[in-house]
Amino acid sequence: MYHGIFSALSSKAMVSVYTDDPEYREVFAASKRIFLSKTPEEADIILITNRSTLRYMLNRNKVNQNVEKPVLFVTNYQFLKYSEDIVGAFYWRKGRSQLLFVKKRLEQQAIQLPEAYHNFMIDEL
Amino acid sequence: MRKAYSDKFIIFLMVLLIAFALFLQISTIKSTEKLKNDEIKRAEQYASKIAKLIQVRGKNNLEATLTENPELRKHLNESLHAFLTKQYQYIFVLEKNEKGKYRFLLDASEEEPAEYKSIFFPKSELFDSVYASQKMQIIEQYEGVEEVWLSLVYPIVSDNKTEALLVLDLSESYGEHLNKFNSPLMTVVWMMQVLLILSIVLLVYLLNRYSKLRKILLFDTLTSAHTKVFLEEFFNRHEVDAYNVILIDMDEFAQINNKYGYASGDSVIKEFSATIMRIVSAGSKLIRTGGTEFLVLVPKTESDFEGLVKKLFGTLQEKKYLLENEVFDQKVSMSAMITPEGKASIHDVQRILDKKLLEIKSKGKNAFGLLGLDHFDQMNYGNMDYIKEALEEERLVCVYQPIFHTQTKKIVKYEALVRLVDKEKKEKLISPAHFMDVIKGTSQYIKMSKLVFKNVFSVLHTYPEIEISVNLDLDDLYNADMMKLITEELYRYKHIANRLTFEILEDHEIHNYEQVALIFQQLKTFGSKIAIDDFGSGYANYVYLIKLDVDILKIDGQLIQELLYAPERTSVMLESIKDLAEAYQYKVVAEFVSSREIYEMVKALEIEYVQGFYLGEPKLIEAYIDTE
Repeated sequence: MYHGIFSALSSKAMVSVYTDDPEYREVFAASKRIFLSKTPEEADIILITNRSTLRYMLNRNKVNQNVEKPVLFVTNYQFLKYSEDIVGAFYWRKGRSQLLFVKKRLEQQAIQLPEAYHNFMIDEL
Repeated sequence: MRKAYSDKFIIFLMVLLIAFALFLQISTIKSTEKLKNDEIKRAEQYASKIAKLIQVRGKNNLEATLTENPELRKHLNESLHAFLTKQYQYIFVLEKNEKGKYRFLLDASEEEPAEYKSIFFPKSELFDSVYASQKMQIIEQYEGVEEVWLSLVYPIVSDNKTEALLVLDLSESYGEHLNKFNSPLMTVVWMMQVLLILSIVLLVYLLNRYSKLRKILLFDTLTSAHTKVFLEEFFNRHEVDAYNVILIDMDEFAQINNKYGYASGDSVIKEFSATIMRIVSAGSKLIRTGGTEFLVLVPKTESDFEGLVKKLFGTLQEKKYLLENEVFDQKVSMSAMITPEGKASIHDVQRILDKKLLEIKSKGKNAFGLLGLDHFDQMNYGNMDYIKEALEEERLVCVYQPIFHTQTKKIVKYEALVRLVDKEKKEKLISPAHFMDVIKGTSQYIKMSKLVFKNVFSVLHTYPEIEISVNLDLDDLYNADMMKLITEELYRYKHIANRLTFEILEDHEIHNYEQVALIFQQLKTFGSKIAIDDFGSGYANYVYLIKLDVDILKIDGQLIQELLYAPERTSVMLESIKDLAEAYQYKVVAEFVSSREIYEMVKALEIEYVQGFYLGEPKLIEAYIDTE
């Protein structure tokens, strides 16, 4: 499932992902189509699962404004409110898995999602 | 038959157990379903109450009212929270905007409550369906949903417009709790079903073994013919009178075994049975009833039974066997029978065929005998069950043959002779030759004797002018039961016992004359007389005259018959007996006087009394008394 989301966001079949969450790292390490990046700089997607990493990544983005930034994706709905750089989230609410993308943010980063994901795109939070 | 019933009972029991297990399973499932349905109904009632509460507070425009009034939202969230129990995982209210996206209006959760108007993807199209139809729906757990067993989606409708959806998520753990509610019973049901399956497997295994054993029991391993067990079973299911029967025995087969060995003997038996099978039809049954004895059941539907018997006998006689470069033939003896309708059992038929076969063998073997329907009746008279039934029904009569004074031709006495009455033809009387040997020494013999005495004493009582003689076997005198009966009867009828004569007939030598003499004394206590039957032949000899106190000598019928063939020599013999009897003051009776010629000769010899068919046949006493 994660490969589908990341592949749609990066338009690549083989996606390079960075996350500092050990559980996710373990999951991605087992995937044949997700390449686990050692540094955020080398990654196509950065998956943020905690608040400290979120702060770190947002600061890093501010500092390196001219550098090509990886796509930020979070696992918490609230994290979406911290920055316009975060394009989407995957999280659990009321026992249901929730996947959403913010339309404007995707457009800002010139990301075009396949039609299968259009239902999960929202205009505003 | 008992086996067939027990088989049916086992199958019935298994079906009953399977039905019971299924019933239990269905009942348990239904009970669990009922529990779930009750819970769903309760959830519906809750949903209805909550929806009403929200409707009232929403004032016909829920979204606007809640947006304007955060305090109301807080209050309603708290109210919803009150409904959260262990059954309900989540309770929340969603609105659907013009773009078709769902957003939270209310959330009962205190822990991580959904933000007002935050987005929610319900993961089921049924939410849209409820929104459109305005009818509550139950949504079962689906992919991408966790901790939820069922979702009850209830529309909040105002002015015929769906304003929001109230969602009550029943927790997965509660669903499991309901499922487990009947789990002990379900476990029992499963165990029962497993046991039943094991039982059925075992039963199939046992049936398989049983059928193999049955095959061994029903088929002879050497010849492939049926066994005696088959015969029993077969006639439990079929009527004997549907088949004619042939009994075949190989003559002097032991010689083959002795000369060539048992293996060679077996091969001859095998070939012999194969020959029979080739001749008889496929509908016939071949049963090996003994080492070299075979029974063939031929359906009556097949014509020319006699022809078949002849063909079978001829073929078996002409058949040549080869053993150790020697060709020889095997002689056979056969008895065959056309079975009568209805009344025969296979045992009766076998007994008759055995007897006939024995007769054939005693006359030199290597022959066959075909018994007709009339033969069965005669043979049947020798059946113990038949005799027993006759005696129980007192189908017994005494016929009386008169004994005449030779010179005057006046009746002086009658000899009582027992007869059984045929079961179906009451006018037909059965001679003791058919049954006497069968019942001698049994309790039936005593029973019959009792009936005879009853009849004889009744006749003596009715006709005070007459005398009667009854036959007694020498063995009867040694039989305690018989003597008890006789002494009791004599005592009971002591006033007429002096008109009774006991004719003693013996088929073996007397060893203890003193004992017999004593018994004779007993018999004569009330004036009864003793006659020696068949005097002059067999064991009835002159020693009797010395050692026993008798009254009458009945000269053996064979000696009397000799008058026709050797009149002079026989006359000398008879005269000497007569003289001897006169010397001892015994009366003399000549039996078997069957013609005028004999009568005249006996009369000339001045033998005092005569008895025979020429003068009077055995008849019911009334026939003679009325004549007189």
